[in-house]
Amino acid sequence: MKWSLDLLKGKWLGHPLHPIIVHVPMAMWPSALIFDLLSQWQIGGNAMVRLAFYAIIFGLVASLLAVPTGVLDWSGIKKEKPAWKIGLYHMMLNLIAALLFAINFGLRMQDFREATTVAGVPLTLSFIGTALLTGSAYLGGRMTYTYGISVARMSKAKWRKIAEAGRANLPPE
Amino acid sequence: MLKDFLEGKPLRHPLHPMLVHFPIGLFLLSLLLDLASLAFPSVPNLVRDSFYAMLLGVITALIAAVPGFVDYTDIRSDHPAKRTATTHLTLNLIVVALYGINLGVRSSSLVDPKISFGPLILSLVGIALLSVSGYLGGRLVYDDGIGVGRHKRRTPTPESTLHLSMANLASNEKSDVIFVPIPEVDRLSERETLRVEIDGQVITIAKIDQDFYAFQEFCTHRYGPLSEGGFQDFKVQCPWHNSCFDVRTGKVTQGPAKVDLKTFKIEMRDGKVAVGLPRAATP
Repeated sequence: MKWSLDLLKGKWLGHPLHPIIVHVPMAMWPSALIFDLLSQWQIGGNAMVRLAFYAIIFGLVASLLAVPTGVLDWSGIKKEKPAWKIGLYHMMLNLIAALLFAINFGLRMQDFREATTVAGVPLTLSFIGTALLTGSAYLGGRMTYTYGISVARMSKAKWRKIAEAGRANLPPE
Repeated sequence: MLKDFLEGKPLRHPLHPMLVHFPIGLFLLSLLLDLASLAFPSVPNLVRDSFYAMLLGVITALIAAVPGFVDYTDIRSDHPAKRTATTHLTLNLIVVALYGINLGVRSSSLVDPKISFGPLILSLVGIALLSVSGYLGGRLVYDDGIGVGRHKRRTPTPESTLHLSMANLASNEKSDVIFVPIPEVDRLSERETLRVEIDGQVITIAKIDQDFYAFQEFCTHRYGPLSEGGFQDFKVQCPWHNSCFDVRTGKVTQGPAKVDLKTFKIEMRDGKVAVGLPRAATP
């Protein structure tokens, strides 16, 4: 049990896993919107419709891995910290965005091979999904870059050594 | 102004790590479509689709490179992460060049049902290098805190550490405290810092309200760099986890840190700002 938790936390890699995995949905779903829009202007022919479809499914598959790693990282944050609440909003927004893209995917399955433009409903879903995802990803980034979640956690020993060499006042180990 | 924008200060979030999602995701998608063209040759147009994914990947990679360069120049030259950052930058340039070549090589055969050997190899090498580079980029953030909390700092951070010694001063002083004159303090603006190392002791010197304050460089929580911290009144805030300390006394004013900072006296010596260190610290 513990080994599977450590696996999901990325200890074996020396790097948290969640921020690595999220590159895929974070790139794929906004890219799907870009491809959807390009298809409206008849750029790239049917290729844009197909690419949007492939991008959405690739994002969905990766998001299945992003969820457990993210929930685990979040569960390590103390509830009284501001990052806990941000993490909660981040998670809820992500789940909604993933759900919207799953519906979006279902709507495209029939005709993505032949269609030359993406229809209004899936296009709208891409818009809303991307907007929610962008807001959510920003919150995720704030957790790292403002609140330092996962920062200097695995490198703690290294920095302690550097601080000791720099004759800093330090807490007992 | 432009530098602040490219560092994402108005957004309170660095831009480079936001933008890099796109090339990473799109180059991966492109490789998957290449592999799919080999596995399912009956599915039409996969080779063409892969090309467009790669094209958007190259465009977004070039956009991501701009704030990446700016972030790179902002890392202190003697920071332990500088070498990691140089490798990250070099690998990324190689990857973009490889994908540029890759686009050129495959552009003439977009109607093929299967991807040919040459461009496939280029894609595999590209993804391998990108994985290493992306990993190093992540280590820069999560191990070394590069970019973390930088938006909380309004002024430039030190470009390098000043190395000083009290070896030659010890004989002139009779007290237990030896005052070491600090060069370059005159050029500090309000809420700017110097990072100084004196015989091993690493110190941040900050200018606040026309006065100078000296305290240990390392936060007592996870040892974050206080010379890169933000300032509010007489408090310094660690860029990493927001611990706050009073620069006059070193006392913790906000956690997670629990232990106070070492502080050092500042006095004028022969018209120069000097920082006092205990004689016992003489090597």
